[in-house]
Amino acid sequence: MYRPFLATRYLVARPVSYLAIVAIMLGVGALIVVVSVMNGFLRETRSIVRGTTADVVVIPLQSAGGDFIANRADFERVVGSHPGVAAACSRLVRPAVAKVHGQANLSLNDSLASSLNHLLVLGIDPSAETRVSDLPRYLQQVEVPELRVADVADPFRLDRKRIRDRKLANADLPHVLVGELRMLQQRLLPGDALELVTLPDDADLTGGTLASRTETCVIAGAFRTGKYDYDVGTIFLDQQDFRAWSGTRQELSEMAVTARDPAALPALRDGLLAALDAARLPARVQTWEDRNSMYLGAVENERNILAFVLGLFVLLTCTITFSMLTMMVQEKVRDIGILSAMGASAVGVGGLFATCGLFVAGLGGLSGWLAGEAVARHVDGVKTWIEETFEIEIFNKEVYAFTTLPSEVNTRLDLAIVAATLVFSVIICLVPAWRAARMDPVEALRHE
Amino acid sequence: MSDAGAPVVLRAEGLQRRFRMGREQVQVLQGADLVLRAGETVAVMGRSGAGKSTLLHLLGLLDRPDEGRLQLDGVATAGLSRGARARLRNRLVGFVFQFYHLLPELNALENVLLPRRIAHGPLRWMSERRAAREQARTLLDELGLADRARHRPSRLSGGERQRVAIARALVSRPRLLLCDEPTGNLDERTSEVIADQLFDLSARHGTTLVLVTHDRDFAARAGRLLWLHDGRLQPLDPGPRPPETTGKTGVPRALQSPP
Repeated sequence: MYRPFLATRYLVARPVSYLAIVAIMLGVGALIVVVSVMNGFLRETRSIVRGTTADVVVIPLQSAGGDFIANRADFERVVGSHPGVAAACSRLVRPAVAKVHGQANLSLNDSLASSLNHLLVLGIDPSAETRVSDLPRYLQQVEVPELRVADVADPFRLDRKRIRDRKLANADLPHVLVGELRMLQQRLLPGDALELVTLPDDADLTGGTLASRTETCVIAGAFRTGKYDYDVGTIFLDQQDFRAWSGTRQELSEMAVTARDPAALPALRDGLLAALDAARLPARVQTWEDRNSMYLGAVENERNILAFVLGLFVLLTCTITFSMLTMMVQEKVRDIGILSAMGASAVGVGGLFATCGLFVAGLGGLSGWLAGEAVARHVDGVKTWIEETFEIEIFNKEVYAFTTLPSEVNTRLDLAIVAATLVFSVIICLVPAWRAARMDPVEALRHE
Repeated sequence: MSDAGAPVVLRAEGLQRRFRMGREQVQVLQGADLVLRAGETVAVMGRSGAGKSTLLHLLGLLDRPDEGRLQLDGVATAGLSRGARARLRNRLVGFVFQFYHLLPELNALENVLLPRRIAHGPLRWMSERRAAREQARTLLDELGLADRARHRPSRLSGGERQRVAIARALVSRPRLLLCDEPTGNLDERTSEVIADQLFDLSARHGTTLVLVTHDRDFAARAGRLLWLHDGRLQPLDPGPRPPETTGKTGVPRALQSPP
């Protein structure tokens, strides 16, 4: 019974043991906070990516020269009749350059504006689109009220009175939806004109003169998905207007599919691929995760690297316990002799110092767990407090879709971190404990 | 004075112990024999470096002899494991050292209780704690330290510290009390008090007392006097006055011309 009793007395009497406890607490706490925040990030990112991408996307393989044009009806029949498909809609996709306020040509040379120059125009059927994506929600969650569309059910509708350029007011121009971030950055309002420039299907890219296709469009309103590159780089256009603008002969660029069972997407992907193959319709099929694997992988990677680095830090703090115990054994040589003289066994003496290490690691790990989870659960409040107190910005809301710092506390994972810390501490504490146990009691008693 | 018919507590035969000092082997004990009976008091004297402490360490099972046999309370200790020796030591032997060797983190009472804590596991300690505490308090009381029980060693005088150490050595009611110059670090008056208490307590507890000391008056109070010389124990008749040592060899006259 003397081990826990003496270990407590030894630790209480030494300031260095408090230091070791605090170090382990900080290490474990920081690891828990970082893992929680990164998991929160991953969760938010996944949900945002999830929203902008359909469950499964079917991309017909068609040659650019126009030798093969995917038959829209065939694809819609095969995909639509697959039992795993709840809904599907066809989209047309085309890269474009936007001219805003008639001055886009200048911004082509501007490296800062490069993200604004690249555009992906999606030709959609709004009623079909709502079945497979969160378009209505994107239209509703626009933060600046002036930028919102007039009618979510019919997003391309625009009151002619809002068209400010008199010359355009009476023309029958196509209407587009533009990301809120782009509208804010380029100071656009609904009713403003936007010129979309693209190349025709048969554009000669071998050095001859390029004839571009340009269409002036009017902005009907904004959308906000929360994914930065999507909100800056995407424009929605009605499919009829898309065909007139691009002059394309292609009938579909991709099909967005909603699955009946969102948990079984890889199976649906393989099933669709087999069905299309059987119907001799060459296509690629990707789940939303396949499609965004790089992006999601990057966030996951970031989490893993941070966890790895902080894990090393926790190991480092465990070595503080090791040095503390090594010092303690050296300092307590005489005590080891006295305890032996009173009948403590070698195992008992070693156990005494191992108990010291276990107490330090246990207290540090436990308090780190409590502190880490407390901070992780209120990380946004902590962030706000730091930002307000020190007048610095930790978290740029512009870059991420979420306005609060996300965090996902996983108690089981956190306890595993604490357990790993304990196990590692005990293992490295066995070294000084072993030295104490092996000490010759007579030598120890003579020690000055 | 011990009773010749009392049971044997310790029997040592031909104890030898060598140490390596650099390249040299030093034979400290060269066949020491000793029989200790219950309640006996024995003083061991000898020159510095004669091996008195080594002898105590061997008798208390802290060290193993290179040759020779040692029986403690009827148990042959030669083949015992380190753990078994530790248990035997805890149960049968109490040590008192010259420099007290109290643990500075514990107060007097906790220091005294330490051997009892070592003896028991957590469950046993729970049931024993009250009785052990009572016993420790009684011992401290007998040693005149009732009001010092809560004091740390740093706040006790040398004499008080040594009395705490004596209480600690006796708290497990050992059969054998081994004292290594218990008054070596104390002034004369304190030494006398400590010596009185040591003899008194061991007599009352029926503990066999082995004293290693340089103090002739102190040694003369023991029932038996032994001289450790050339690695062997030889009896020494205390006679009417304490043995005098010749300045040069440190061997008492009584030994130079054996009776």
